[in-house]
Amino acid sequence: MKKNNSVLLSTPYILWMIVFTLIPLGVVGYYALTDPATGEFTWGNLMNLKMYLPVLWQSILYSLVSACICLLLGYPVAYYIAHTGPVAQKLLYMLVMLPMCMSFLLRTLAWVGLLQDTGIINNLLSALGLPRLQMIRTPGAVILGMVYNYLPYMILPLYSTIVKIDGRLIEAAEDLGCNSVQVFSKVILPLSVPGILSGMTMVFVPAVSTFYISQKLGGTDTVLIGDVIERQFKQGNNPNLGAALSLVLMLLVFVCTGIMNRFGGDEEVIV
Amino acid sequence: MSKELIRLQNLCMEFDGERILDDINLYFNDHEFLTLLGPSGCGKSTTLRIIGGFLTPTSGKVLFDGKEINDVPPYQRQVNTVFQRYALFPHLDVYDNIAFGLKVAKLPKDEIDRRVTEMLEIVSLKGYENRNVNSLSGGQQQRVAIARALVNQPKVLLLDEPLAALDLRLRKDMQNELKRIQQAMGITFIYVTHDQEEALSMSDTVVVMDKGRIQQIGRPEDIYNEPKNAFVADFIGESNILDGVMLEDYRVKFFGRVFECVDKGFAPGEAVDVVIRPEDIDIVPPPQGHLIGVVTSVTFKGLNYDIIVDFRGFKWLIQTTDFHGVGTTIGIRLNPEDIHIMHKSEYSGLFGDYSSYSAEYDELTEDAEDEEE
Repeated sequence: MKKNNSVLLSTPYILWMIVFTLIPLGVVGYYALTDPATGEFTWGNLMNLKMYLPVLWQSILYSLVSACICLLLGYPVAYYIAHTGPVAQKLLYMLVMLPMCMSFLLRTLAWVGLLQDTGIINNLLSALGLPRLQMIRTPGAVILGMVYNYLPYMILPLYSTIVKIDGRLIEAAEDLGCNSVQVFSKVILPLSVPGILSGMTMVFVPAVSTFYISQKLGGTDTVLIGDVIERQFKQGNNPNLGAALSLVLMLLVFVCTGIMNRFGGDEEVIV
Repeated sequence: MSKELIRLQNLCMEFDGERILDDINLYFNDHEFLTLLGPSGCGKSTTLRIIGGFLTPTSGKVLFDGKEINDVPPYQRQVNTVFQRYALFPHLDVYDNIAFGLKVAKLPKDEIDRRVTEMLEIVSLKGYENRNVNSLSGGQQQRVAIARALVNQPKVLLLDEPLAALDLRLRKDMQNELKRIQQAMGITFIYVTHDQEEALSMSDTVVVMDKGRIQQIGRPEDIYNEPKNAFVADFIGESNILDGVMLEDYRVKFFGRVFECVDKGFAPGEAVDVVIRPEDIDIVPPPQGHLIGVVTSVTFKGLNYDIIVDFRGFKWLIQTTDFHGVGTTIGIRLNPEDIHIMHKSEYSGLFGDYSSYSAEYDELTEDAEDEEE
């Protein structure tokens, strides 16, 4: 009876998934494997992807760098939140969540206002008599945008992993001769691995497919795979190539999360 | 005898203004098996954590080999701890858990290997090297925790209720095992427990604590036979505790009758607590009895019957192997060595009355459950 109820209740979502995820995925697959002109089956679109390999590589590189920076910035924050008092913990947790309550587009545009050639920072610099800096349209700006936007996705899983580490394990390590650095490297860090992997995944996956950040903050040499895909549909008018690119990107994300999950061993990884 | 290793001097501990330890003075000898025994909240674990270095006392000194170690961090102390619920490292296998301390100390690999293997043999876990610690049973995890501490060859091993989470059978086995290991390795064990039987059967010295104070220190036999106050008498085993008056040396009056006893050194006419152990009481036909009472309840305990006997409204617990049904009138005889006299203390009148026998048993069970938390 109970089982029947749960099937019934989940039916709307299952239908939704079929209509708006599985069927479109089939359409993407169909487009990816058909010729734009004749509509016949072809491997041509996938063969053509070779020329986009550098862009794909660049996307992976930027996302990985961003994920690593998020980890370095986020870990101490997560650790601090996990070890502070219960009230402060709730407050800081909300503070981390706060940017996520604002529009992603707005947040990125705000950085444009800050970084652009006649933006707030450069105006301030010239007012102080200092030379203006080229900040926007650089790889740094794109990575900054990624880090800024996705940092909460790193901190939250890290926090929930670290807060669960049993305090007595730390005492046990101290008891067995560890100073505070060794306690961290031999106990706390290894036990944080599931959180690190979740955080890396949750930053990497949206970052690798983003196009808005690179369009607003990047230049002509910081084109990412997301931009290319968007262009195929909007300007290039080659949806078949775009579909092929999407398909490859999806596989790539699958492979990456798969690898990360494997490293996590039998520990639970939030994807 | 053996030399003194650790000394606690006027040790006090306060948390948020609440006094957890009140002027503890205690020393631990080399090679000794010493047990801190008391109900939950008595300060026994706090004392252990101070020795381990996880807490700094509010005042007083911790001396190790005569040197003050109050501010020495845990990792620089020559003690190791077996934690309550083990605290094994879940990311390491059995071998790496045991080798942890040796690897931190950067010992050569072959020596680590030799000592871990030796330790695995001592705790009978040979062949479990590569097992995940979470896949082990409670008893096995317990042994890994002991091995992980002992492999570092500490001068002192601190054990914080290490057997509390095990079932009765396993607990008995591990008690013997621990005693054997302690004797084989010849190191000092400081053991914390609320289980009086555990304390009596394993220890060289028992320290009974309550309300942050030491109530009595002594060999298990002395603690049992010569309890210092009503708390100790009640906490260690069962006791009937009666109000009495010491008339002179070797003569005590209670229940309107004068008894011979073996105690002396009390002021003439001093009000005292009289302890009579339920297993020391001889049941005789009523005409021959010192006292005559009526059986009001009988509980079969396997080894004996626990009977509650009403003597003029005061109920005693008597343990007997012979059955006496409810309503039977019986006489009892008390030999001088069965009567133990204690000075009055703050605990007088709180323990040793079996008028609410069953209720007390319920309370005991609840306490035991609290301890499991």
